[in-house]
Amino acid sequence: MAGFVSRREFLNLLAATGGTAAALKVGTALNLLPGSAAAASLDLLNLGNNQRKVAILGGGISGLTAAYELSKQGYDCTILEASHRCGGRIFTVRHGDLIDEIGNRQYCEWDDEPHMYFNAGAARIPSTHRNLLAYCKELDVDLEVFINENKTALVQDDKMLGGKPIRNIDYTTSMRGFMAELMAKGMSSAEMDAPFSESEAETLLSMIRSFGDLNEDDVFKGSFRSGYAAGGFLEHGVQNDMVAFRDLLQTRLGRQLIGANEGDTGPILMQPTGGMDKIIHGFLNHVGDRVKYRAMVTSVQVTDNGVNVSYDQDGVGRTLEADYCFNCIPTHLMVGIDHNFPDDYVKAMKYVRRGEAYKAAFQAKHRFWEDLDIYGGISWSNTRSRQLWYPVNGIHKAKGVVLGAYDYGGGMYHTIMTQEERIESHLVDHEKLHPNFRDLVEKPITIAWHRMNHMLGCSARWSRNRFEGWTHEEEHLYHILQAPVNNRHYFIGDQISMHSAWQESAILSAQWALNSMDAHVRAELA
Amino acid sequence: MNRRIMQNTLVLLTTLAAVLLQNSATSAEREPFNDRYCTTCHGTEGKGNEGIQAPRLAGMEGWYLRRQLENFRAGIRGTHPMDREGIAMQPMANLSDESMADIVEWVGGWPYVPAEVTITGDAAAGRSLYGVCATCHGDQAQGNVAMGAPALAGQNDWYLVTQLKNFVAGYRGKHTGDAYGQQMAAMVGGLGNETAILNVVSYINTLEER
Repeated sequence: MAGFVSRREFLNLLAATGGTAAALKVGTALNLLPGSAAAASLDLLNLGNNQRKVAILGGGISGLTAAYELSKQGYDCTILEASHRCGGRIFTVRHGDLIDEIGNRQYCEWDDEPHMYFNAGAARIPSTHRNLLAYCKELDVDLEVFINENKTALVQDDKMLGGKPIRNIDYTTSMRGFMAELMAKGMSSAEMDAPFSESEAETLLSMIRSFGDLNEDDVFKGSFRSGYAAGGFLEHGVQNDMVAFRDLLQTRLGRQLIGANEGDTGPILMQPTGGMDKIIHGFLNHVGDRVKYRAMVTSVQVTDNGVNVSYDQDGVGRTLEADYCFNCIPTHLMVGIDHNFPDDYVKAMKYVRRGEAYKAAFQAKHRFWEDLDIYGGISWSNTRSRQLWYPVNGIHKAKGVVLGAYDYGGGMYHTIMTQEERIESHLVDHEKLHPNFRDLVEKPITIAWHRMNHMLGCSARWSRNRFEGWTHEEEHLYHILQAPVNNRHYFIGDQISMHSAWQESAILSAQWALNSMDAHVRAELA
Repeated sequence: MNRRIMQNTLVLLTTLAAVLLQNSATSAEREPFNDRYCTTCHGTEGKGNEGIQAPRLAGMEGWYLRRQLENFRAGIRGTHPMDREGIAMQPMANLSDESMADIVEWVGGWPYVPAEVTITGDAAAGRSLYGVCATCHGDQAQGNVAMGAPALAGQNDWYLVTQLKNFVAGYRGKHTGDAYGQQMAAMVGGLGNETAILNVVSYINTLEER
């Protein structure tokens, strides 16, 4: 610790808002809404009487997008899927399902009910992911609202309040109150140098007061926003105690709490009713007969006028000759498959690092969170398990499935454990949130994406430096891998995007490749 | 007495229920699986995959493959916290004896094709360093079953570099159950720096014919 920031220093910091003058003037006042909420529609040429064969390697959402769009235009598509199921990291786990983690194979033993599922990969759809939403609409996938931030959910840190969990709303109400108090004081002190007119300053100050629910003296004295200690309906409410600012500062989880409703996870989020893989089934309703399962690609050879693919299905070697190939095999696996790709392409393939995300889930014997006024959302703890998600689906039913861990950063901590160690770790962690958690849950499953058969990694990691972002060299390699080989072979998937781990990115990568191929086909047929 | 009968009946019923549940759990609705998953990481016909840092299995002697699989399964290899690649492999050898035998036979059917050269080093300098290695691994790095020393020729050079570094650092070959690993760890004294390792592997790269 570099020492405390003094009150004076803090006010000086705020006074530096004088420097925002430039931003006030050049800011994006013209940040207009997009003209249309519709997704960018593809305009692919219908082949008519012409014929083209397409090999699609991998039945993830990018491969299915390609198959679906091309089939509509008369292309003869074949999808080679290495595993027993389509969807890749869009994986909804239900009763009886195989979780094919190498070295830790599991079958899900949860009750066989429609609401008893777990989205082990993709789990949230932001309302701005319009191409994905357009497919949901087109494929008749029912959607429901997903709750990410829940103010009645819990936050716990051993370093805060003796490790006692508190409500998210107790944390955030007090934190916002204290932040607003500081801002309001900073405003009056910094006002003279600030670039605001009197009316602008008044508007800003009123928002600061509202942000933190300050009293008439611009002081935070607690708020009814965090609910009532008693009463509130037939009797006057008694205000909850506020949490001391210094106590709030003993945890860094505030960053998660303040950010949970921002950016990609900001409202409104959605999920398909019944599981994320309803999207996959929506595609398969149209192209399911084009899929060959347990078909492991062994060779991809690009020729002058097509792509020759070899694959192994149930121990039998087979071949597939196609005019075009869309490949969403993870680059780190494609490195080990025979190919004749150019050197710079291979260099880019080898550069991409594989993600390490890890998730776990339990069947809850009853929906204990609803007894605590919690309906959906996330409890945060400063533990390795990090998050406890309560399902928004199945409200008031007998049981539910909770997410018991989501480590999206360095997920190797749990990955390298045995199954028993993983589960024990989550039980211990969540006993800090719910003291009898161990007795409330059963039938755990864990998913280390780094070890899932046929994937061996979560979302691609292009950038090696989290804080400084992509280097020019990384952007260069990315564009090499996005471009086709010989106008015949395209890599697709969220791995060919600058925002991996989202279905929208995978769909857009496929659409980019489809448009590029379409131009080539039009030229050929012209 | 009555209570005891009731208890016994309860135990019997619980056991019966468990058996029934188990049977339903192994019924036909379950997705079948296959332990021949090696190629996911080790690549087409086990030629190795630098992207996963999974070495070439094609051309690896059956006796050596079996020994390493058994070592991984027993936790003799792949448990040192600094052996990142070994840790990745260790749980994947969680195989039955039958599966292991099947895999060894399966892998034995893959053709030997030398791996591509990916490192640069001074092969001439490496040649003299290799003298010690040749005692066990053979002049042409062809391996020697009598010494328990596997072939090195044709193996992925990046893998050989990683393993030599692991032996030097004590990440491999320190486990008391790994007699051959200990033998190897005692032999890497002359490879104390990375240049020496790159040189000796560069020399091995020149010995790809077997």
